[in-house]
Amino acid sequence: MPLAYELPEWVRPVAVYMLREGLPETLKLAAVAVTVSALIGILLGTFLTIHFRPLQALLRFYIEVWRGLPIIVTILFIYWLPALHVLGQTIQLDAYTAAAVGLSLWGSAQVAEATRGAVQSIPKEQHEAAAALGFGWLGRHAFVIVPQALRRLLPPFVGLLVNIIQNTTIAFVIGVNEFLQAGQRQVENLTTQTGNPHAFEIFAGVLVVFFIISFPLTMLARYLERRLV
Amino acid sequence: MDILASFEWSFIWENREELWEGFKNTMKASAIGIGGAFVIGLVLGAIRAHRIPVASQLAATYVEIIRNTPILVQIFFIFYFLPRVGVSLEPFTVAWVAVMIWGGAFNTENFRAGFEAVPQRLREAGLALGFSPFKTFLNVTLPVGGRIALPSSINTYISVLKNTSLMLVVGYAELTAVAYSIQANTFRTFEMFAVLAVAYLAIVWMLSALIRLLEARLRLPEAL
Repeated sequence: MPLAYELPEWVRPVAVYMLREGLPETLKLAAVAVTVSALIGILLGTFLTIHFRPLQALLRFYIEVWRGLPIIVTILFIYWLPALHVLGQTIQLDAYTAAAVGLSLWGSAQVAEATRGAVQSIPKEQHEAAAALGFGWLGRHAFVIVPQALRRLLPPFVGLLVNIIQNTTIAFVIGVNEFLQAGQRQVENLTTQTGNPHAFEIFAGVLVVFFIISFPLTMLARYLERRLV
Repeated sequence: MDILASFEWSFIWENREELWEGFKNTMKASAIGIGGAFVIGLVLGAIRAHRIPVASQLAATYVEIIRNTPILVQIFFIFYFLPRVGVSLEPFTVAWVAVMIWGGAFNTENFRAGFEAVPQRLREAGLALGFSPFKTFLNVTLPVGGRIALPSSINTYISVLKNTSLMLVVGYAELTAVAYSIQANTFRTFEMFAVLAVAYLAIVWMLSALIRLLEARLRLPEAL
């Protein structure tokens, strides 16, 4: 059956490029940032429950700095960093890595704060019971406390995933070819090829795709929150 | 560390005027954005909390669209949308419109939650005193619910201010954009980052401290 409404000719190649080149980059960047954020954040958040002032002050500083700065400032700073010389090796971060590091600093600060709350919400009987079974601090947290806290962390975690997916667009400013950048490149292409950039339609499309990804996740986060509390 | 040894305070001082202009532009877009977000949040939050048909659903749609799409994409969208509706394309206009629309959506949720947290019997008491529904809102729901919503709405204002830093992409010369262009010409990375970090963290931390202060002082009496 023929389509009642044919899409304009320019749409197909543009959409194919954006979905094949840009979108996977966005999802990859988000996956890396979420994973690193979770690992570091859960670790730091658990350490934050130790009553040792200097350690708490240090972790607080980490959290407040990376949560306080606009993510674009963090990403730009990491990208601007001159080459570091470590053990005779020269390390220069490329744009993709800089964006992943910047997002992970912000994300891990968010996770650390949430983890602290979740770990502290576990009743102290759980600590006592684990201690009575002969667990030390490490075993108690690794096998008893943190696994229970993870359950409570699930809803904020899905929320973080939504936020990080959206914040990957900031990598645009340092030239990572994520979904928004892919759209921008197609706008430039169309301008040189046909003279009509179709910018409004393309960015509306970017908006729609992000909504289609984010909205179900937001609903999931809300559902989990209702169920787990 | 030779990096720190080469840090030059005088470089920041030499560029103080440009940076100060950038800071003022950040504050200008933030102030208008926050003011607008306050009004949008108040009106739409009230509409949502009172479940006014049609308007409430439209407000919910607006909130979900804004909260589930990246603000940077919204900025691009607005950048190409404004000329279509005949608004001349000035970076400043894009800047405050974008953060206002963004903040308004989050603030709608803050105020909705605040108004809905007002106990039903307080509204009934207002109506029993002979207040019209609108007067009941002004005299009962607004002062009590607004108080509940205040900390979370200040959090939204903090984010609005931080989001003005994204206006780099539309060429609005706010603080981040100014620092960005200076660093691009001089490679004075640490000096410029120091300026950005001190400026943003000072404001964000001060407002966060204010939230904690207000949370303690504005706590509603237990008996309410």
